Amino acid sequence: MSTATTTLPRARGGVLGLIASTDHKSVAIRIFLTGFFFFVAGGILALLIRTELYSPGQQLVNQDHYNEIFSMHGSTMIYLFVVPISLALGVYFVPLQVGAAEIALPRLALLGWWLLIGGGVTMWLGWFTQNGPGDAGWTAYDPLSDATNTPGDGMYLWIIGVMLAATSAALLSACILGTVMRRRAPGMTLLRMPVFTWSMLMTSILMIVAAPALLVAMGLLFWERVYGGVFDTSGGPIQYQNLFWFFGHPVVYVMFFPFVGAVGEVIAVFSRKRFFGYRAHVAALLLFTALSTSVWAHHMFATGQITVKYFSLMSTALIIPAGIEYLDLVGTMWGGRIRVGVPMAFAVGFILQFLIGGLSGIFTGSPPLDYHVTDSYFIVGHFHYTLFAGSLFGFFAAFYYWWPKVTGTFLRTGIGWIHFVLLFVGANVTFFPMFFLGYDGMPRRVADYDPQFTDLNRVSTIGAFIIALGILAWLVNIVVSLVKREPAPDDPWGGHTLEWATSSPPPRHNFDKPLPPIRSYAPLFDARSGQTAKIEKAEA
Amino acid sequence: MVLVALVDTRKEFEDLASTYLPIAIVVFALVLLGTIVPLFVFRARRRGEPSDREEPPWLPIGYAAVLIAIVALLVTLTFNAQDKISAKVTRPGLQVNVTAAKWNWRFDYPAQHISQIGGDSTPTSLVVPTGTDVRFNLTSLDVIHSFWVPYVRFKRDAFPRRTTSFVLSFPGVGYHTAGRCAEYCGLKHDQMIFTVEVMSRNDFNAWVSQQQRAQAARAA
Repeated sequence: MSTATTTLPRARGGVLGLIASTDHKSVAIRIFLTGFFFFVAGGILALLIRTELYSPGQQLVNQDHYNEIFSMHGSTMIYLFVVPISLALGVYFVPLQVGAAEIALPRLALLGWWLLIGGGVTMWLGWFTQNGPGDAGWTAYDPLSDATNTPGDGMYLWIIGVMLAATSAALLSACILGTVMRRRAPGMTLLRMPVFTWSMLMTSILMIVAAPALLVAMGLLFWERVYGGVFDTSGGPIQYQNLFWFFGHPVVYVMFFPFVGAVGEVIAVFSRKRFFGYRAHVAALLLFTALSTSVWAHHMFATGQITVKYFSLMSTALIIPAGIEYLDLVGTMWGGRIRVGVPMAFAVGFILQFLIGGLSGIFTGSPPLDYHVTDSYFIVGHFHYTLFAGSLFGFFAAFYYWWPKVTGTFLRTGIGWIHFVLLFVGANVTFFPMFFLGYDGMPRRVADYDPQFTDLNRVSTIGAFIIALGILAWLVNIVVSLVKREPAPDDPWGGHTLEWATSSPPPRHNFDKPLPPIRSYAPLFDARSGQTAKIEKAEA
Repeated sequence: MVLVALVDTRKEFEDLASTYLPIAIVVFALVLLGTIVPLFVFRARRRGEPSDREEPPWLPIGYAAVLIAIVALLVTLTFNAQDKISAKVTRPGLQVNVTAAKWNWRFDYPAQHISQIGGDSTPTSLVVPTGTDVRFNLTSLDVIHSFWVPYVRFKRDAFPRRTTSFVLSFPGVGYHTAGRCAEYCGLKHDQMIFTVEVMSRNDFNAWVSQQQRAQAARAA
């Protein structure tokens, strides 16, 4: 550690810094800004979808454009927004939390960002081709995605875009994994890593396991489109689905773990308590990770071509790690001294709303129930509760919590509360009616619907615009806070973990003063409460 | 006559959901209480220091045992329902071959020599007798479609170059507009619907004879 600092490159500024800086903090911010750009783009597509669905029949866009819009909405949000910002959180905070001066493989991290931009631009260039962008859904099932059924260059661009984004995610994950394995500060054993770092470790392992399956699926799909002969057998289409979901299910946890980890940190700090049940939580994460690679075919119950009982058992067993994580989050609050700030509000919002997503997911893990609700609006409601009302709320908890560390300033609390309330109301008004729509028989991915579904669709559309207002409040908060700066101290919340033991923003090599002793997963908490002295005395 | 239980997917769905839903609601209520109560009880201004108790070792173990019991219950119920849905039916009352293609349906009744295919303005009509097992053989001519009848709470994907079979029965007598493709299949996926008409056995037999006469007349 101590000798390495002299050989590391200096921080670069200016245009060269923008394109070539390998400082993990700068790379993470650039990944975030890239993801943020695609979040706004994908969000505009979502508003187009909800506006078209305000009434049955066709108003705003025709079927062809509608199919492009929902395909690009899903692809953009998953490949270009949620996965990249999940990893961006890790790229920024994992090195800080383990007390490292630098991320492992910094040039690879920089390449990861460039590949993300390349993937996003490639995918979105499809709008300028003759047949429009890839419009086979974010899953691109064969044979719908082959050259006969989806002709045109947009689909090729989509495939290349997905491959670049998947490679980006795998490289960023490799950097995080390497940092955890090789760059931990003295004293930072695996079981002294903060819960967020543990979440990112499992996230990066899952991504490295899953991304190759997606790359293979995309490569074969490309081959199928150009030459044929890959999936055009009787078992071909189901093999594509097996490959795709072997990536597609683990990636669900890539989009969940980082946020549950961040929420865990926020809850512990805002309850002024150590994280409750740390070891059980780590065990639950390991179990989650193990199970998540053997549940992929629960997306395929209705195909009638998989072993439904095995995948139903494995999927339902996810209740066990999920239940333990929930006990730990809730248990951390009990007996604490809770400050209800904006990060805490988003964290509690995450807990409750993700739970709705999780509980509805238990229904879909049971084939006799899933046969009815799969591919209906029930599923759309389910995964938006996990991804939007869950992961995005977790992201906002992290955003308000770590903003002072990244910028050295505070976000405005008042606007933060407006942001939270609008988003909370909007998310539930938008996504809760979808459960009823799906149960009553409305399928997903349709531009038009039976008039019996009109009322609930209108409610949902109104909710989408409330969400848009909430996002607007977030943007206003960022702009106001950056223009009229309220300086934040190094440790404004009374943090537990090492990122709060350095200046805000942290210097080029993260720590310019000696690290505090690391005797548990909450070293700063120990130092404040006199725990460190007690442990050291006991050890002596 | 031996009374054989029919494959009743609608009943299996509703029975199973009536166990899953209350459990889900109770769990949600518990977590809601668990998060909202401390927000009021353990406020920052409350006197005393925050608790520094570690969790007792029996807690995660005992709790995991409860979770395993819930999983065991749900999986057992699910497997029982699954066995009834996918039960081998040796002598179904009717066989219907379903062919899906962009963006329409064809229903063939091989034993009765009847074919049902709709046009642009009238969706294809699936006519079935009530109270009997109907075997469906499902395939597709182009991309993946999905045969969904919300009334019986069941769907099954239709794959090209492959036939899958399943058995459904239709309780009650009535006309349902909602039968449709549930797997995104391109441009007119939203228009790929069919209707389902469930008839009494006698009405169904009369309908079959009428269709046979009509087809004979068309052939002549």
